Amino acid sequence: MDVNTAFTWLLMVPMISSAVIYLIGRIFSRGLKNDKKTNPAKWLALIALLVTGIFLYFIITNVFSTGQTHYQNFGDVWFRFDGISMMLSLLVLVLGILVTIYSFTYMGKESGEEKFYALLVMMIGAINGLGCALDLFNLWVWFEVMTISSIVLVAFYKDQAASLEAGVKYLIQSATGSVMVVIGIALIFLETGTLNIEMMRMSINSPSPFLIIGGALLVIGFGVKIAMVPLHTWLPDAHSQAPSGISAMLSGVVIEVGLIALLRALGGIALSGGRWGYLLIGFGVLNMIVGNLLALRQNEVKRLLAYSSLSHVGYMLLGFGVLISLNGLLAGVGAVFHLITHGLMKSLAFLAAGVFLYNFHISKGSHKVLVLDDLNGASKKYPFTAFAFSVALLSLGGLPPLAGFMSKWQLLAGIAQTQNTIMIILVIFAGLMSVLSLGYYAPLVNRMYRKEPADIVMEGESVSIWMYIPLALLTLAVVVLGFVPSLLYWLTGPAGYSLFIFFGQ
Amino acid sequence: MNISTSMIVLIAVMGLFGVGLYCLLITRNLIRLLVGLQIMVKGAMLLLVFVGQSQGQPSLGQSMALTVIVADTIVAVIGLALAVQVKRIVGTLDIADISKLKR
Repeated sequence: MDVNTAFTWLLMVPMISSAVIYLIGRIFSRGLKNDKKTNPAKWLALIALLVTGIFLYFIITNVFSTGQTHYQNFGDVWFRFDGISMMLSLLVLVLGILVTIYSFTYMGKESGEEKFYALLVMMIGAINGLGCALDLFNLWVWFEVMTISSIVLVAFYKDQAASLEAGVKYLIQSATGSVMVVIGIALIFLETGTLNIEMMRMSINSPSPFLIIGGALLVIGFGVKIAMVPLHTWLPDAHSQAPSGISAMLSGVVIEVGLIALLRALGGIALSGGRWGYLLIGFGVLNMIVGNLLALRQNEVKRLLAYSSLSHVGYMLLGFGVLISLNGLLAGVGAVFHLITHGLMKSLAFLAAGVFLYNFHISKGSHKVLVLDDLNGASKKYPFTAFAFSVALLSLGGLPPLAGFMSKWQLLAGIAQTQNTIMIILVIFAGLMSVLSLGYYAPLVNRMYRKEPADIVMEGESVSIWMYIPLALLTLAVVVLGFVPSLLYWLTGPAGYSLFIFFGQ
Repeated sequence: MNISTSMIVLIAVMGLFGVGLYCLLITRNLIRLLVGLQIMVKGAMLLLVFVGQSQGQPSLGQSMALTVIVADTIVAVIGLALAVQVKRIVGTLDIADISKLKR
């Protein structure tokens, strides 16, 4: 297949199928009011994602066989498919397919299932497009589509006050951030006269206040989505109140997508004299401290996992900051690797927590939250889910044979190779923070395996096969990547390198 | 000091943005929060149109402003839908009364 056609369809398929899924699902759910037949929306969503995956496969094989970056334009709007787009599209499609399969059961009893799948597919399509956008304004448009669909997904339980509150907080903060991004883009356009990120780099030859202000607005605006620390207040609410599959997508991909969008945008104005890399390193350190300390005092499982996302974003910010400011290619590659493994293991953690939540509360029609005490002795009744959850938690904490250790190791080793005294101190700090994080991951494992089962555990329903499939695959991935991290080098190397040349002199 | 068109526009943009942000900071009513957001976005649109004009690409600036209008309308619609639902479930539009999650 022609790579141009494949690329067009990669962007088009999710967007078209989103509308189709909603319409067909709606017709069926109206027609079959009290019928037991299943809604076809979920199968359509799965098929749409698999078809997108086929087009992605064509593009990836082409990019590898020619060894080049693929450029494509629609009118004046240019797209660029490089290592980082490849990594992002692949991660989001894999997680999206697993979350869709998982939601077969999880969302099965909800009304308005078709809206859920339509929005999920739209979000995945927007992330696909955002990874390849080379036009600053186009980047914002994809970003906004992703934001809008994720807001509606967060507030999906529309009869629950808590989930409405999370949706309102998320909406107000994201929308304020988006306005700041638009103003930043306008200021950068005013100074450079172009929106194409690569041409922007060439047209900048001296520092200018407009570029600095524009860049700062971009950092704040995208920072809301990345949950940099003073702007993180929406994250624990949104991640804990969303349906568990969506929590997995939000935590595993969406906050990282904000980071990629910020890096793309900053790449255009890298030569403007702003010290963007040091800014990101500073935010990274703040994120690690605040995320870890706040996670220590949480009593709800999903809130705890949400706060731990903050600290993991801190690691990525640190790695990408070193890539920008000190030309540390290996730190960038390590950060990309951590991005992928964090996506896998955090999704696994949220999905496993979702299995408990579903079988304890949601399947009985209640919307209580899952607190730590509910997990007591869960391994007695749910041995496999408890095992998967433990693997995810220990991997997040960075214990050696698992993927989380390997990615943290590569990231910190890459930072240490810059031979900068401050960076060495930061590496030691990040290592200590990783130890501190075990302070809240390990007790969960302890609860599941060593305590007497709580009543709620013994009364829980049994787990459906659709929930086991994604859990098993993700557990396998986390364990295998820990032993053989080189399996992903074909993905992380080009991604880190394409960011590196984006910021190079 | 000469007063040029560009200066007037930039001051207007900052004014609109400032009014919107101030509204977001002080108000507690959900609908008014959305109005504050709208005012902020109007500032951004004005800037986009002005930037397109001053760069000699007026059509580009205006088309960007139109795109922002579309995206912003969707955000406003979702915000109002959430407001309706909040009023139905919680019975108030005061955001101080729906802050139960923070512990």
